[in-house]
Amino acid sequence: MKAAAPVCPPAVLAGIADLELVARIVVEGLVSGLHRSPFHGYTAEFSQYRHYQPGDDLKYVDWKLAARTDRIYIKQFRETTNMAATLVVDASASMEFPPAPEISKHRYAVIMAAALAHLISRQGDAIGLLAGGDADVFLPARTGRSHLTRLLASLASLKTGGTWSAAASIRRAAERLTRRGLILVLSDLYDDEDLARAELRRAVRQGHEVVVFQVVSRSEIEFSYRRSLEVVDLESGRTVAVDAAAARREYKDALAAFLERWRTLAGREGIRYSLVVTDTPPERALRSFLLSRRATH
Amino acid sequence: MIWLNPLAWFALAAVAVPIAAHLLAHQRGERLRFPTLRFIPPTRIAAIRRRALDDVPLLLVRVAIVAGAAAAFAGPLVTTAWRRAAWDGRLVRVAVGPRQQFDSADLRQGLRRAVAWLDNAPPARREIVVTAPLTIGTLDERDVKAVPPSTGLRFERSGETPRSRMLAAATIATPTAEVRRTVTLDAGRTTVREENAGGRPSIPVDIVAPPEQQGRARAALEAVLALRLPIPAADRRVRVVLRGNNQPEQSGTAPVATAWMADAIARIAADPGLRAEAAAVEPQPTWQFASRNGTLEIAARADVPDLFLAALVRAVGLALTPLDDVRAAEVLPIPDRQLRAWTREPGPAPPPRADTVDRDDRRWLWLAVLLLLAAESWVRRRRRDADEVHHEERARVA
Repeated sequence: MKAAAPVCPPAVLAGIADLELVARIVVEGLVSGLHRSPFHGYTAEFSQYRHYQPGDDLKYVDWKLAARTDRIYIKQFRETTNMAATLVVDASASMEFPPAPEISKHRYAVIMAAALAHLISRQGDAIGLLAGGDADVFLPARTGRSHLTRLLASLASLKTGGTWSAAASIRRAAERLTRRGLILVLSDLYDDEDLARAELRRAVRQGHEVVVFQVVSRSEIEFSYRRSLEVVDLESGRTVAVDAAAARREYKDALAAFLERWRTLAGREGIRYSLVVTDTPPERALRSFLLSRRATH
Repeated sequence: MIWLNPLAWFALAAVAVPIAAHLLAHQRGERLRFPTLRFIPPTRIAAIRRRALDDVPLLLVRVAIVAGAAAAFAGPLVTTAWRRAAWDGRLVRVAVGPRQQFDSADLRQGLRRAVAWLDNAPPARREIVVTAPLTIGTLDERDVKAVPPSTGLRFERSGETPRSRMLAAATIATPTAEVRRTVTLDAGRTTVREENAGGRPSIPVDIVAPPEQQGRARAALEAVLALRLPIPAADRRVRVVLRGNNQPEQSGTAPVATAWMADAIARIAADPGLRAEAAAVEPQPTWQFASRNGTLEIAARADVPDLFLAALVRAVGLALTPLDDVRAAEVLPIPDRQLRAWTREPGPAPPPRADTVDRDDRRWLWLAVLLLLAAESWVRRRRRDADEVHHEERARVA
């Protein structure tokens, strides 16, 4: 039995200015338990079998094995050709929460994105970036060390502000991927749910693998405020007076329902969904996601 | 309980300050920048807006502080029986005496100053002791009534009353010359000494009469001078107009509106000699008074008897003469019976005023305000500590 790899707390990671270093720390802690390229393509060398699950593409069913064992297995391949992935990062104002000294959702998403970019790039795959908010950053998916450096620099300089349209960003990312690729969305998804779902569904139908990291903070989940508050919407600037203690139960119920809707949708539409809370070490969140992903491939 | 400065209760309006502060503070609340408002229930938002006040205990403490301060400024004084007894046990006494003997104005002024001084004295029974020769004219009933009823009055004779005094009286006009008079008051006897001052005697009374009546007019003036007449002030002139039966009234007159004229008219009407002569004439003579260019004009019929005309001129002359006030020079003492009637014991101590009370009860209210301030500080510190614990809990949770 292997000892669990040490993880770096989010607060420590948030304090490191060099994003490349942060990404490397996260990835080193991450791959120590995986040993292999975690991202599987569909056109590479055979990797393993796994049980068929409803929704799997039937063309990957090993019919011969099914005939021999009366069980349906799906063949999984490790992608050896260049895979194209695009990081879709929400840089809207709502991501600038919670305030210091806690790590913000934006910083957490940037660290996650950097780690993913580092991970994908070191496999020799292409990685791109599409960031929304006040800043509109787009880097097409490319391979290479210099491209990774440029991508990490773009991530590091990313500033939050304004609003973000999840639907438009996902659609743009899907259209820019010339062949079936990987779309990694990092956002709190406080956007028009129906539009975002429609675009995610469309991306999946286009053949892309879509991964959604819904990033929320513990403060948002708990809403553990007591006194009267003047709550200011980070994006719209609208202000309302709230008796926090009285509103907590209904707030938590509404938020839980919102998160559950996303989880249910993801399961139904074949979207890989991971709810990430900012007090979880990023490598742990990534490891959990990758292990679950490997289990289903 | 009495309030020494009740106007200070207007400061109670300042309780609006903490109430407004709580209302405004509540509306503002702690500012929290949050990712989204979509999960915050609108009913709770409405409820929080409907609520009127925040942190009622702290507000009550602050209102009590303001009310306590206002009450302290109003100067409460609890009039307990013990305190009243203490006030009544004290006596503030003022001795009044003339700086110069026989100066009645001085004694009256001293009495008024004593009343004013006692009005500003601390709460106690008050008494005025008048120490003077107390001759007639130095004090009278009006002076005694001007002293507040609760102030005691006592009179003590002091000093010697002189046997006699001399004073100048009005100058007399005679047919030949003016006579200067000196009055000597000597115990119960009054002596008037006259000496010739020279000069032509003149009285400011003119008689306007038809030519045929001029002789009668001069005769009347001579008769009046023969009876000796005090010379009035030179600025008071009278014109007696004798009109014939068919002579019209002269225009240019105005109703009497001057004090000395009104006074003179009253004295003429009350003159006993004139009234006696008027009663002897049939039919009853009439006369009219009017004012013309600062001169009192008296119109009468020209056919009145000579004696009546002379009585009228004399009454007019006497009415213009100021009365000699010899009361101030009186040497007779005020009777003891009168002084006993004026004497009275001091009454209970009057209620104190803000500027006269030596010690009120506002210090207790200020003490209460200090305690409330400490309580308010304690409540605020408790709130702050609770908030800090709350933030630490949140940080730990995070």
